[in-house]
Amino acid sequence: MDAGAHERGGAAALRLDVSPRLRLPLLVLGFVSLVFGVAGGLARFSSLSIPGTAVALHGPLMVSAFFGTVISLERAAALDRLWAYAAPLCAGLGGILLLLGFPVTGFALMALAAAIFTLCNVLVIQRQASLETVTLLAGALAWLAGNIVLFEGGAAVPWWVAFFALTIGGERLELSRYLKRPPWVRRTFGLLVLLLVLLPVFPRALGLVLIALAAWLFAFDLARVTIRQDRLPRYVAACLLAGYFWLGLGGVLMALSTGYDAALHAIFVGFVFSMVFGHAPVILPAVLGVRFPYHAVLYLPLLVLHLSLAIRVFVSALLGAWGNAAAIALFIVTAVVLVTTFDPRQGERARSR
Amino acid sequence: MDGLYHSLRAGVFFDPHQGFPMSEDDVRQALKTVEDPEAGMSVLDLGLVYGIALEPGKVRVEMTMTSPACPASDYIVDEAAAAIRAVAPAGTDVEVRLVWEPPWTPERMSAEAQQRFGWT
Repeated sequence: MDAGAHERGGAAALRLDVSPRLRLPLLVLGFVSLVFGVAGGLARFSSLSIPGTAVALHGPLMVSAFFGTVISLERAAALDRLWAYAAPLCAGLGGILLLLGFPVTGFALMALAAAIFTLCNVLVIQRQASLETVTLLAGALAWLAGNIVLFEGGAAVPWWVAFFALTIGGERLELSRYLKRPPWVRRTFGLLVLLLVLLPVFPRALGLVLIALAAWLFAFDLARVTIRQDRLPRYVAACLLAGYFWLGLGGVLMALSTGYDAALHAIFVGFVFSMVFGHAPVILPAVLGVRFPYHAVLYLPLLVLHLSLAIRVFVSALLGAWGNAAAIALFIVTAVVLVTTFDPRQGERARSR
Repeated sequence: MDGLYHSLRAGVFFDPHQGFPMSEDDVRQALKTVEDPEAGMSVLDLGLVYGIALEPGKVRVEMTMTSPACPASDYIVDEAAAAIRAVAPAGTDVEVRLVWEPPWTPERMSAEAQQRFGWT
């Protein structure tokens, strides 16, 4: 095989395969923060007897400890480098420290996690330099900025919003390459990336950029084609397109500087969790080495998620928040049942067809 | 040995060992069952397969992904290897390698894929 076909920048000495079984404890670490983070969020509306730290630090637990662990674990699995797993480890441990009442150390670990995650994305650019990979790096930097701001006691949320917008946007831009698009579509995305990196310091202006990003994604994403297919591709597309609606609405609320709970949860629940629901059947097999067969029942938690979010934004934050939590719990139960009851012979039959 | 990618581009088809009861077409058919879960289309139609080489008792495939950050890449590579093993003679050594050079471009897609995604 020719040298050009070999992977560039592959430091063979540092390559150490982490088996899917060893990735599970890292994911569990993130899930501890998810459980307490969600409970902490609910305790803001209802009387739940949970640690006060979970209530006060709902945001960092959900964003940096839970999503941070999951996203950086995903990237580490893609890179297949041992050191890359330090990012989900630090993010997950950071969450545990917050819960145990050591916020400063926890925030420091979260900043360290984001710094390692940033290095991971530099490695991704070394593999292939493109607008897509630069967007992912910009997302990592936004997460790092947010966690540093958090450490210093400032407003981290706009940076975290940019982190998700850039990370998800970059992945979607990558997949939209299958589609024929005029060159200006790509250039417009590049402009949005620049604005997303610069504007978290002006949250209202960031809201406008989110509206534009939602419109871009809705118009040009691969999901617009795959929604017309069936089974998993259609389900993933439904998750994404519904998410773009909430991203746009969250942008509107941010631009108007109104409805703080509604704006944030439109973005974090409607856009980010919907994307997670869609991609779990694609990502979990890769990260954990398990089979996650598609089943139409997956639409049920998705429906609960979006209906309860509509209630949260338009009717009752209390009722909607409980519905959001129920949707997440229902999705986890559905996923566990589908993964654990999978019959490998079904897969073989599908292949022989 | 020349690069698989260049061999494929040059139209070099090598099956020098007549004793090995598997053709490049068998491998291609197997790879047609492996989908990019997001696109709902096979990795072969999407043009992600760069090269197929057959040696006695051995099948080697080079493929890429649209994204170097794609966490599903290992999974898709494993699926591709499993699909080939399912149709290969018992004991065949199947190696599927992920490469990032040259980067994937849309022209690599099959006519069917190009039509579905609006290129033709």
